[in-house]
Amino acid sequence: MTAAGPAIPARPRFRLEPYIQFAQKAMAREATYRFDVFTSVASVLVRVYLLRMVWVALYARNAAPSDLPLHAIITYTTVAMLMGLVMDIDQTRLLHDSLADGSIATDFMKPIIVPLYFFSDGTGEVLFHVMLIVPSLLLALLIVHIDVPSLSVICVFLVSFLLGYLVGFFLNFILNCIAFWTLEIQAVQLIVTWLTDLFGGEIIPLVIFPVFLQKVAFVLPFAAMFSTPLLIYVGVIRPDHYLQALGVQLLWVVVLALIATLVWRAGAKRIVVQGG
Amino acid sequence: MAIIEAVALRKVFRSREREPGIGGAIASLFTQAYVDKVAVDDVSFSLEPGELVGYIGPNGAGKSTTIKMLTGILVPTSGLLRVAGIVPHAHRMANAANIGVVFGQRSQLYWDLPLRESFELLRAIYDVPRDRYLQNMKHFAEILDLDRFLSTPVRQLSLGERMRGDFAAAMLHDPKIVYLDEPTIGLDVVAKEAIREFIGTVNRDRGTTVILTTHDLADVERLSRRIILIDEGTVIYDGSLERLRDEYGTHRTLVVTLAESYPEIVVPDTEVVSREASLVQLRFNRREITAEALIRRVTERYHITDVSIIEPDIETIVRTIYLEGYHDGAVGAPS
Repeated sequence: MTAAGPAIPARPRFRLEPYIQFAQKAMAREATYRFDVFTSVASVLVRVYLLRMVWVALYARNAAPSDLPLHAIITYTTVAMLMGLVMDIDQTRLLHDSLADGSIATDFMKPIIVPLYFFSDGTGEVLFHVMLIVPSLLLALLIVHIDVPSLSVICVFLVSFLLGYLVGFFLNFILNCIAFWTLEIQAVQLIVTWLTDLFGGEIIPLVIFPVFLQKVAFVLPFAAMFSTPLLIYVGVIRPDHYLQALGVQLLWVVVLALIATLVWRAGAKRIVVQGG
Repeated sequence: MAIIEAVALRKVFRSREREPGIGGAIASLFTQAYVDKVAVDDVSFSLEPGELVGYIGPNGAGKSTTIKMLTGILVPTSGLLRVAGIVPHAHRMANAANIGVVFGQRSQLYWDLPLRESFELLRAIYDVPRDRYLQNMKHFAEILDLDRFLSTPVRQLSLGERMRGDFAAAMLHDPKIVYLDEPTIGLDVVAKEAIREFIGTVNRDRGTTVILTTHDLADVERLSRRIILIDEGTVIYDGSLERLRDEYGTHRTLVVTLAESYPEIVVPDTEVVSREASLVQLRFNRREITAEALIRRVTERYHITDVSIIEPDIETIVRTIYLEGYHDGAVGAPS
């Protein structure tokens, strides 16, 4: 045995380049499945049109609340559907797949920050879908005539959308991390999807809910994903409440990021001690 | 100075003990019974830079666990490990920059993208200088004949092509050490040979240290002078192939074609291994009787038309050791 103590090597310098490449490769990969993407856009357009008919019919029978006029709720629903094109992507599915087929081991054998790799890959996938939303948006404008707010409101909406995206990202990340312990995460994911549908305000605006359900929605993270940016878009959340609304979203981002970090560490520790 | 040094390496996996059935499932919620499984018991070895070593053992012997510890993704329970001066699990990223890995059963390439894109990505990950990258790509494309399918999506490649891609991918950043885990599994003879050729070339020309785990002992025979045999988590042999063959290859087989049919074949000092029609295989110990004497003994008793001798192959030797254990300087006839 040599007497010399182990050298303490410098951790390789952080470079952004690999992570940009991960995102680019994810976009290229999605592009090979572009037919999938086109069909999902088509299905959104169909849903937009059907939901519009539902709301028109409901409003004709005076079933609707007064603070959301018909054109506002149609705008709300249409924008929600378009957001769904991005938000409904399980962008960290790759983590689950890596754990399922064991390739997580080779991920760890590379000089990369593994969770950041999953983040970059997911972001690339999402960006590709964002590129498809723009043409869909134009089409949506053609078939349903949605309201277009002022530029400043659109800017706040985009910030809120980004925060909502991060909430969704960390939520998905945590769910996919469950695969460190059990590979059967579908049921849990399904439950979370339903909760998001109901309490996120993607399908029905939360302001229509009874007060009790609104309170429940308020203590859950899902409203930060859809409801907040949408209510900013349609003007229910007024400029003097912007900071508060964005603040709550940011709080959820921080809380979920913290949980995600803890869950990831516990999972990664399991890999290095138990071999996955 | 050794590039890899493992001293009394040990890895114990701990899992929850659980009685079968629903009762056991419920009981396991309340009790904390654990069961320890020793995957690697006591492994020590030391490798010099540029060595090419076959790391051999039956399924479950602890090969993969050792490799995982060497790559830094598994923390040893006890023992000392140093790879290129680094304790792998303590400095996973720094260690990862020094190593390359090929798994025969698992590709590291991007499934949906052309092969070329995976190389581009690896260049970015390992921060390979552009000119070095081009130089390596040119070199690998030449020996591995990659040019034909560089633009093909990986999922459309044949296994042989994919493996060649995986090898280039593992070597692109000039790793000091490569770990090859069953790199020729499932390949046809031609592809196997191409891969072996590549491993040999890289080891010889670039001085890359190679640890090769495989079940195909032809890989080892062709490539490495040294083998480490591991069984039940312990190193049972570490040394040259020749010595192993010398010590264990004491048994040869005499194949005899009989001219007439005999009800029974009995030749002293031999054992009838098989008999099919007129073809008889007799196993004998070359330290007990010479081939010449044995042939004479056979011809005295039976009419034969042909004889030949089969030398023991490394496969048979290793199988014998798995079954009977290794004992230093073994000469006796296992019966």
